[in-house]
Order: sequence, then structure tokens, then C-alpha cells
Amino acid sequence: MLVVLTVICAVSGFSLALVHDVTREPIEYSRLKFVKEPAVKAVLSGYQNDPIKDRLVIPVGTDKKGKPVKLIVFPAKKDGKTFAVAFESAAGGYHGDIGVMVGVDINSKKLSGISIVSHTETPGLGARIIEPNFTDSFKGKSLDKDLGVSDISALSGATFSTKGVVTAVNKARATLDKYRDKMVQ
Amino acid sequence: MSLAKEFTKGLWEIVPPFRLVLGLCPTLAVTTSAENGMGMGLATTFVLVCSNLLVSLLRKVIPSKVRIAAYVVIIASFVVIVELMMQAYVFPLYQALGIFIPLIVVNCIILGRAEAFAGKNSPLPSIADGLGVGIGYTISLTVLGAFREILGNGTIWSHGLFWDGFEPFTFMVRAPGAFVALGCFLAMINLVSAKLDDRKRRAQS
Repeated sequence: MLVVLTVICAVSGFSLALVHDVTREPIEYSRLKFVKEPAVKAVLSGYQNDPIKDRLVIPVGTDKKGKPVKLIVFPAKKDGKTFAVAFESAAGGYHGDIGVMVGVDINSKKLSGISIVSHTETPGLGARIIEPNFTDSFKGKSLDKDLGVSDISALSGATFSTKGVVTAVNKARATLDKYRDKMVQ
Repeated sequence: MSLAKEFTKGLWEIVPPFRLVLGLCPTLAVTTSAENGMGMGLATTFVLVCSNLLVSLLRKVIPSKVRIAAYVVIIASFVVIVELMMQAYVFPLYQALGIFIPLIVVNCIILGRAEAFAGKNSPLPSIADGLGVGIGYTISLTVLGAFREILGNGTIWSHGLFWDGFEPFTFMVRAPGAFVALGCFLAMINLVSAKLDDRKRRAQS
């Protein structure tokens, strides 16, 4: 009785471990594909490759618990050359962190677009950061220096949310400067 | 006992949601569209066939005292396999079905078939039984999903069906609509089978 049950459980555990191993890579791909791709598509254009498939994982230090933090970079390539990259950046808004997907042209260092990936801002006020009116005003801005609120069309009544997005973009600028060589291979 | 008979009984005689009235939780919850219903049905069919086969192969090895525990381990393993596979290859469907994929473990149909059939019969009839019941379940869910999708959303397989001004009867894709749709189908099936029984009795007398 005991032996049979033990053997069944052991075989089950072993085969599940095997299946898990085989499916780990495709699962990660399809998660990124269906969760991140809409944002990547919104900030990059004119690429011929699959940015999800060509993604680069760059280790960027460790968090408070000592776990390594990884930055996932989605490169946009034309004729095999990376001309723009998209990656996520986050900063505190009025209420919690705002996740921003930032697309940057590598050569001109100009923003090719931003897209809000996650936020918990006030509906009707801060939540307007997801509207194209706001995100489109980042397009074409140069990342040679930090952006200020006056550079873009700030949302009235949602100063904190606006500043949160601008800070996230500025953080992305710092990340880009630091890891540019690793992003373009 | 012929294989064909084991297979076809799942399609009409004991078709799960309407005759056995088992596995109702996913039947009510995921049949908001034909596609979801079919995905759920196919996932259940896979688990059912595999678990029937394994249970039947091991039926002489598993002591009857711990048979339920053994069956549950077998079923749960296949459910996890299905879950991982769906995540890897059909992610949108996985998102649509959500929690009901892992909940296949507690679907009465599967444990029911293992206990009532596969635990007592040899592998081949068990596979036929699992296939029959699974396909019966898939067809039921697809038809129910199509019915609700057409009325509640005005589409079938995500293709528009009606003219522009058509106002969909959204009640049908909500939870109460599931009960109404299931009730209508149960009534219809009971009516048809009553007629069939009647005819058979008259032919005999």
C-alpha cells in the first residue's frame, strides 16, 4: 500500500519536473508576448525582427534582499542592426509605482514613444496618464538631458502622476547611459 | 462489450453535463464563448483519457484502500501537464479559462470515470470510455458556448453574425445566463429522450 502510493507519487513528481523543464522557455516567451508585446509595439516601430524573441536580459545589481535584479531589453532591429530599444522603468506616482515602457532610438537618443504598463493612479485624474494625448507628447523628445514637466504637456490636476512618469523616463535615461553598450550588441 | 459501444455511450446515454449532470462548475463558468467551451472540453478530454488509461493499467497494483488517493495523484499530474502546455502554447486561452484549468482536478467526471469504469476494466475499453465521455463533454460545452455567444455577444467563433444595429442580449454571457441556457438544454434533451423512449416502447409492444 505504502510502496505503491510512494512509487506513484515519485513517478508523478519526476514527470512533472520534466514537463516543467521543457515548457519553461516557451512559457516565459508567451507571457512576455501577450503581456508586454502590446506596450513594446506602442513604443517601437519600423522593426523587422521579433523584439520578444531577441530580448536581452541584463543584470542590474541586487534588490534589498540580495536577489539579482534583471532588466529585460527589447531591441528593434532593421537589417540585423539594433536601431532602437524598449525597456521598462518605474517611479512613484501619486499612489504606488507607475511602470513605463520606454522606447529610445539608439543613435539620436530621442524617445520613440512611451507607454504606461501598470499604474494605480486615481481614475479620472492621474489615470489620464495612459491617454495618447499625454504619452504622445513624449515622442521625439531628446534624452540628452533630464526631462522636466514643462517639456511635455503636463496633466492639470495630476501633478504627481505627471512627475512620476517624467521621473520614470529620466530613470530610463540613466539606465540607458549606463548599459547602452550591453543593449546594443 | 464492444469498444464502439463504450465510445458512443459517452456521446448520448451518459453525456456528462446533461445526463450525468456532472462537471457543472466549468460548464456554467467557461461557456461564455464557443472557443472557451471547446478549449475546456479538450483539456478535460486529454486528462480523462490519460487518467483512464493509467488507472486501468494500474488497477491490479493499486490497493483498494488507497485507490482514491492514487487516482487523485494521477489526475492532478495530468492536469498540471495540461496547464503548463496551455501556458506555453495557447496563452490567450489559458488566460480566458484561468482558474478552471487547475480545477479540472476536482471535476467529478474524471474521478467518476476512474472509479466507475477504468478501475474495473482493461485499458482499451477504458480509453474508449474516456474518449467518448470527453468528446461528449467537449461537444456539450461547445454547443452551450456557441448558444450563449450568439445570443449574448452576437458573434460565433469571434465572427460577427448580425447586422450593425443588433443589440446583443448580454444577459446570456453573464453567470445567470449560464443557468438559463443549461436549463433550456436539459429540458430539450429530456424531451427528445422521452420521445425516443416512447417510440422504443411502442415498437416493442
